[in-house]
Amino acid sequence: MVVTQFEPSQHRLAQDIYRLEAGEALLKDSPSNLIEVVGILKSYGVVLDTYAKNLIYISQEQCLIFFNFFKYFNGEVTLNKLLRHWWHDRINYEYAEYTMRAMMWHGGGGLDAYLDTPEFREAADQLIRAKFKFNPLMRAFHAVFDDFLPEHMRQMAYYKGLGEFWTIMSKIFLELSDRYLNGEIKSIPDVVDHIQQGLVADANTPITYSVELNGEVYNLIPESAGLKFLPDTAVPYVESIFFRGAPFPGLVSFNAQAYQIPAQQEEFSYGALHADVVATGTAGVPPTLLMQDMRHYLPDYLRQFYQQSGRGEGDLLVKICNSFQKSMFCVTTAAVKGMAPHPFDTANIEEKRENRRYLEQWMDKMVNTRLQMANSD
Amino acid sequence: MLSALIWIPVIGGIIIGFLPNQLAEKSRSLALVIGSIILAFTLAIGLQFDPNQSGLFLSESFSWLDQLGLTYYLGVDGLALPLIFINSFLTLIAIYTSSTKLARPRFYYALLLFLSAGTAGAFLAQNVLLFFLFYEVELIPLYFLIAIWGGTNRGYAATKFLLYTAISGALVLASFLGIVWLTGASSFDYDVLRSQVLPLSSQIILLLILLAGFAIKIPFFPFHTWLPDAHVEASTPISVLLAGVLLKLGTYGLLRFGIGLFPDAWNLLAPYLAIWAAVSALFGALAAIAQKDMKRVVAYSSIAHMAYILLAAAAATPLSLTAAVAQMISHGLISALLFLLVGVVGKKTGTRDVDTLRGLLNPERGLPIIGSLLILGVMASAGIPGMAGFISEFIVFRGSFSVFPIATLLCLVGTGLTAVYFLLMINRVFFGRLPLAFSNLPAVPWSDHVPAIVLAILIVTLGLQPNWLVRWSETQTASLSNFDTETLAEVRPASRSLLQPGQSIKESQWWRSL
Repeated sequence: MVVTQFEPSQHRLAQDIYRLEAGEALLKDSPSNLIEVVGILKSYGVVLDTYAKNLIYISQEQCLIFFNFFKYFNGEVTLNKLLRHWWHDRINYEYAEYTMRAMMWHGGGGLDAYLDTPEFREAADQLIRAKFKFNPLMRAFHAVFDDFLPEHMRQMAYYKGLGEFWTIMSKIFLELSDRYLNGEIKSIPDVVDHIQQGLVADANTPITYSVELNGEVYNLIPESAGLKFLPDTAVPYVESIFFRGAPFPGLVSFNAQAYQIPAQQEEFSYGALHADVVATGTAGVPPTLLMQDMRHYLPDYLRQFYQQSGRGEGDLLVKICNSFQKSMFCVTTAAVKGMAPHPFDTANIEEKRENRRYLEQWMDKMVNTRLQMANSD
Repeated sequence: MLSALIWIPVIGGIIIGFLPNQLAEKSRSLALVIGSIILAFTLAIGLQFDPNQSGLFLSESFSWLDQLGLTYYLGVDGLALPLIFINSFLTLIAIYTSSTKLARPRFYYALLLFLSAGTAGAFLAQNVLLFFLFYEVELIPLYFLIAIWGGTNRGYAATKFLLYTAISGALVLASFLGIVWLTGASSFDYDVLRSQVLPLSSQIILLLILLAGFAIKIPFFPFHTWLPDAHVEASTPISVLLAGVLLKLGTYGLLRFGIGLFPDAWNLLAPYLAIWAAVSALFGALAAIAQKDMKRVVAYSSIAHMAYILLAAAAATPLSLTAAVAQMISHGLISALLFLLVGVVGKKTGTRDVDTLRGLLNPERGLPIIGSLLILGVMASAGIPGMAGFISEFIVFRGSFSVFPIATLLCLVGTGLTAVYFLLMINRVFFGRLPLAFSNLPAVPWSDHVPAIVLAILIVTLGLQPNWLVRWSETQTASLSNFDTETLAEVRPASRSLLQPGQSIKESQWWRSL
């Protein structure tokens, strides 16, 4: 335990707070945790890049198309690809959409706010009118139900926002693995530092959304809207996906019958940090789709690590989910540290107190997560 | 050739028992080889069988103790053949599923083979005294198999088993001795005894004694209490043999000796037997609902399902008797599958408590294949179409309904309850969230799945092709049901008072008004 220069925290997760204040991470440092986190983020980076490309493709090429049977084909529709799709030899893009919907449903941040502005509505209307210029049926439909198509465009904006967010994150994760193999990453705090630096470096990358139709570009979210990577997509993403999430489609009926779905949206706890890893592999639990995708891109050192424990590759999806959850605690640590009011090594006691209050607010959210279980492995 | 089914396991058992210390670990492999040879012999015998022919198609006879009327007379017909196959097949399964890390493996495998030999001998014996000898001989290895390699309370269970089944043997012997003494027959040979004339009152007394003997073995309510204890304490392979084969000695005895030797008395007692069957079926099913140990659930289920055989035997129509044999085979396979899978669950989780286990169908960390096979076994047991259990139970009820409608309907309720207790068990054990305590269960190797998969394939195959299940015994059981009361027994005037003038016992069927 680190001896603080001021009063001890009374928080239930005080030990985790002290660890963060000492420059460590929520996840305890250990050689096995390092292999798991770096390895899983490598495969996650590959998968995220693929998800991101498809999300961006859908937002730009499939918007205002309502029977988009080939939306997962990224514009390349061939018989071979179709057969592979039916054989399920493919990436589960459904998971990306599930994430996008959860993020849109919980909202928060500048992106959510901007989508309710008259500017976005006007830009969306322009695109809708142009798209259905020669389609009186859809124009009539839009006139009668004037919220339907704009809502569709809001969803498309989320496709694009999440796609851009994941593009940056995948780059950070892939670089992490390269640096690990070069011997530059030697501990969990190193991992957190790497992610934190990546987040900070891209913090102000603008989030934009434009669609090209008949040679004309429609700027739905122009750069002038001022939406930035960190505050407008990363922070809402952490809140929506790491903490809140949504009941899994396959279990929602069961959850509802068992009165397990909270009445208040902010009380939802279906996010990645709460995920029950043992249920992974079960039909209807979306993390299964992500774990299936990551399974294809595991680096050799992680695969070997998995083969040496438990059921070897027999329970691979659960192991991947477990490692993934650990890695998400590292990403959360990076986000928490990146947004802290003051550096944690400050000598100023008031700044320390402010940091403490800030950390305790975060730790309130962490109380019911699987942090303790991740650290007890 | 028939002797080979007895003497190959006996000689094999002796060889294994006397293996030198350094070769003790080879006893399992050697037992597997011997078990495979026995099964091959059984199949070879089966290939010589003509299903359209009734009576013995292979027999061997040597004089032994002629003064006592004991001859070494073996024979096989359509009634015994399927049971001999089940015995050989499940013996091999039992050897295969036995732990590779057993204490005293030579003794264990020798006993398993002796058990197989004793059971085969009982099914093959055509001399009732020889049947009794084999019937008693198989108790010894079984007693040791439970008493040495059983659970924590194995001593109690083994002793209880021995006491009950020894009494069963004594009653069976008393009945056989009674026939010989009362008829003055010179031999205990089955075909000699069948041709003897016996007064109806004597038949009734001897049949009641025989029924009590076999009712303990099968077992029927209220003679059943040894069975759940024996199953709970026995290791998985022994439970497989106990439920799959050894209980069938009792039902085989009912058909072979109960109907075969006392047809008139059987006809008179039939309605009471049908009621007994209904009571036993309902008791077994209701008791199964209350159980917390998975093995006990299957054990009580066994009691319920064996009662259907009594119902079919009581009805004694050609169809119901064929059904009785089919039910013996299908119950043998299904109960073997269920005990095998429950054993794997117990071995992997360390418990069989339905209140403790949960979520074992979890695809990654649970026992998904074991769970799926268990669900299949449960469906077969509950009589879901497409599996052997449906066929046998359907023809039991179809063959018995015309004779004992109320008892049959009550047994049908028992079948409905099968779904209740097994679904309760499946729901508790396999569905829901896998608890943290079981989230790191060791994987089940494919070698553990193989016997269960083979059994499951047999159950489904016989369900889809029921002719393969019933054709073996159809002709033989038809001949059993065609007994002629007037030629087989001397019905004394006193007994005739039970009948209408000019009416035979078989024609009376007074219970139809029930």
